[in-house]
Amino acid sequence: MAKVLEGPGMGLMKKWGITVPNYVVVTSVDELTKLGQANEWLKKSKLVVKAHEALGSRFKLGLVKVDLDLKGAEAATKEMIGRQVGSVTVSQVIVSEMIPHKEEYYCAVKSTREGTDILVANCGGIEVESNWDRVKRLALEVGQQPSADALEKLAKDAGFTGPLAKKMADFAGKMFTCFDSEDAQYLEVNPVVLREQDSEPIALDAVTLLDGDAKFRHPDWNFAFAAEFGRAYSKHEMEVMAVDSKIKGSVKFIEISGGDTAMLPAGGGASIYYSDAVVARGGKLANYAEYSGDPPDWAVEVLTDKVCSLPGIKNIIVGGAIANFTDVKKTFGGIINGFRKAKSEGKLKGVKIWVRRGGPREKEGLDAMRALKDEGFDINVFDRNTPLTDIVDKALQTK
Amino acid sequence: MSILANKDTYVVIQGGVAGVNAARRMAEFCYLIKRSLNVLAFVYPPDAGKTNEIPYGSGLVAVPIYKTVAEATKNHPQINTSLVYIGADRAMKGGMEALDDPLIKVVSMITEGVPEKDAKILGRHATKLGKVFNGPSSIGIVSAGSCRLGVIGGAFDNLVLSKLYREGSFGVITKSGGLSNEIIWICSQFADGITTAIGIGGDAYPGTDYVSYLEMFENDPQTKAVVIVGEMGGDLEERAAEWYGAKKRRVKLMAVVSGFCQESLPKGMKFGHAGAKEGLKGEGSARSKSDALKKSGAIVPATFGALGPAIKETYQELLKSGQVKEPVEPAMLPKLPKTIEEAMKADEVMVAPLIRTTISDDRGDEPCYDGYPASELINKGYEIPHVVGLLWDKRLISKQEAEIVKRIMMLSADHGPCVSGAMGTIIAACAGIGLSQSVAAGLIMIGPRFGGAVTDAGRYFKHAVDNKMSVDDFLVYMKKSVGPVPGIGHRVKSLRNPDKRVKELVGYVKSLNIKTPCLDFALEVEKITSVKKDNLILNVDGTMAAVLVDIGFPVDSLNGFFILSRTIGLIGHWVDQKRQDSRLIRLFDYLVNYAAPKRREVPPLK
Repeated sequence: MAKVLEGPGMGLMKKWGITVPNYVVVTSVDELTKLGQANEWLKKSKLVVKAHEALGSRFKLGLVKVDLDLKGAEAATKEMIGRQVGSVTVSQVIVSEMIPHKEEYYCAVKSTREGTDILVANCGGIEVESNWDRVKRLALEVGQQPSADALEKLAKDAGFTGPLAKKMADFAGKMFTCFDSEDAQYLEVNPVVLREQDSEPIALDAVTLLDGDAKFRHPDWNFAFAAEFGRAYSKHEMEVMAVDSKIKGSVKFIEISGGDTAMLPAGGGASIYYSDAVVARGGKLANYAEYSGDPPDWAVEVLTDKVCSLPGIKNIIVGGAIANFTDVKKTFGGIINGFRKAKSEGKLKGVKIWVRRGGPREKEGLDAMRALKDEGFDINVFDRNTPLTDIVDKALQTK
Repeated sequence: MSILANKDTYVVIQGGVAGVNAARRMAEFCYLIKRSLNVLAFVYPPDAGKTNEIPYGSGLVAVPIYKTVAEATKNHPQINTSLVYIGADRAMKGGMEALDDPLIKVVSMITEGVPEKDAKILGRHATKLGKVFNGPSSIGIVSAGSCRLGVIGGAFDNLVLSKLYREGSFGVITKSGGLSNEIIWICSQFADGITTAIGIGGDAYPGTDYVSYLEMFENDPQTKAVVIVGEMGGDLEERAAEWYGAKKRRVKLMAVVSGFCQESLPKGMKFGHAGAKEGLKGEGSARSKSDALKKSGAIVPATFGALGPAIKETYQELLKSGQVKEPVEPAMLPKLPKTIEEAMKADEVMVAPLIRTTISDDRGDEPCYDGYPASELINKGYEIPHVVGLLWDKRLISKQEAEIVKRIMMLSADHGPCVSGAMGTIIAACAGIGLSQSVAAGLIMIGPRFGGAVTDAGRYFKHAVDNKMSVDDFLVYMKKSVGPVPGIGHRVKSLRNPDKRVKELVGYVKSLNIKTPCLDFALEVEKITSVKKDNLILNVDGTMAAVLVDIGFPVDSLNGFFILSRTIGLIGHWVDQKRQDSRLIRLFDYLVNYAAPKRREVPPLK
């Protein structure tokens, strides 16, 4: 799943005929001023300015300003750009036209096991959450297109009447086309509002999740995907992502601040069991990491370097199940190089390392890890006969 | 018994390198259980018509490669299963091709990163056709003792350790590939092992879910219990729980679910497989799944670590109730033949080497010449002549000797386009022949009459000096037993038209005040021969030879100095002709003396 920011998300909706407010994404006040000279609507309309970053609770943070004229929008832009929120620096704002409206509605399309669900409600905004029973659903099978009749019935079920039912049905139909054509996994417009002058349904806000795996058939996806967890990616995370995109197999890395147990396990499945074990033992995760699919040793070395650089860690869990085809000796070679480098840079002081692994060339790999003891590493090595997550128990028991 | 894959399963693999690697793993399993290789064909259009050689035991099996699945099944009608190892952007097309083949009943997709929409379409298509579509992102399927599809089960040693050579009583279904192996191992250590283990892949919407496979296991009398390794996200585990709780089931269900750590992570932070997504209001969380499974009556240990003991307990119950019997282990299992490298490492075989070398070693991170690393030679100021000394005579020559060698090479690097060597190269270059062949054409000319007299000259001068012969005795000996003296005489140079190269070399070597018995002797010989005939002078070959013998090079290496130096010139001539884009040349007939018989009538054939 790949989250797309509001600007490009609205761009995709517009592409498929959904009416969205006029908007621009700018990186400086100058840019906005110039756009103001070129675009009538920026001068005439009331404007909304929002920080265009993957940040939650923007309202609370003061990163949404409404009911502004162009001067006010410029001031808001100046204030927001460059602001530091946690690890994120605001580098873009989205300036859009305010749409005066009375009613707010809801429309979403989401992927299901059977196919696709189209959701419509005749309430919107924060009201939807508390009135989930008012959201009506049209379930479509894989490959099935919604008929005009089915869409109109959906709108009517949701409580829309008269010409508005037809308009909402049409809006939901366009949402489906956008969803289906763009390999989306989730599209949500909340609220859908009716423009006062012409009662046209307009998508006032867009949540767009695309299937990153389908990027190969969408050459016009020229935007970057946003981090999905309410903050931007850190430098180290981005470095690991850059490596991940280049290699066979994969390496993954996410930092969690305040933790003291660092994770360096193998496998997308086992890594979660290791994380679970740390949490169940009352430990605090310093990161999530995972390597799998027999990645090259240098990629695992980069990952190890990032793990060793986590601040305040006491233990490193080099866990892993019995690999099918990941070469244990080779991947451990990368980890060992990473450990040596970290040690030479003065890292890993007082850090205990815990290893458990099986798979192709497990004996050679585990022997090489054991030999690190002679180089002064505080390392404990276990083989397949020790159950998967027991090293976590051992690590968190010792002081 | 088993499900999905058994003794009658025959496979086509769609894809390139990854598919071939899987076939190797599958061949190891077939060898372990003593069945013939179950991979009958590959589909990989770029190599269609060729074969992939798959090691089986100590031999190789040639498996044909076809352009289409239809061709593969036409030629091998036993095929009933396809493994898809095609890149994500073409996987759907490949999967559809396999599903649409009437002979293929099971398609398992190993490809990762397949768009969700494509996976859903494939799954639905399979359901419509009454076939099984497993994956994407599946590690494979293995039925103990009968069939392996993909790399699931890992290396050969692990197959043996996990007792995959014979059936057990536990079915396994996992999303994660790595954990499938872990559970197979646990089942073999805490119980009697597995019947079938299936990797369904960690995507959000796998083609076939737990319930379909649970239904199959329920109908397989050999399977007594099924272990599910679940993950947060989606509703597959909830559906499994619903299935299990719906009515009394013959199989016992055991399950673990991962993702509890999400509860204590910062809000919105998610990781793991593509399918590991929690829905609104906690649906799809590890806790809700785990609770649903527990409620359905499934055995759900608190942690992954507790799974082994729980499996053991279930197994003990099955034993007690007489539903399973202690397995009988086979007395002997085939051992995978070792490669020569592995066997040598383990000191198990002795191999008589084919060749022996005493000059260089390439096995480290850089070549060593007679034991000296090349980089160290460079960094300590040694030069090409020293490398020649090391590789030709296994000794580190002195600075002075190196200087002599360098000068010899500089003097004999080229001698214009007219000499036989250069001409050979130039003619070849003009005929459009490549560098190495053209240079070889020139080198072929080096022999007794051109450049190749160095070794012989050295040999006889040395013979004379070693045996303290007088010049007269030497010339008599040569005349009687050899012929003209090698190193003496020149086609164009003479006493009046001396060879400057000889003068230069002799002058330099003499200036060094070193002992040069051969050179001195050769110059004495020249004094006598040049009197007899004006062009019987000490030529460049003879001078080089005498000097090189004097500084200790072995006689057999001497022609090498000319070959090496002149190669520089020959390469130059080839590049020169190439740069000019020279045309094909041939002799003009006026340069030929046609001495063949005049044209005449051919007599009738008798």
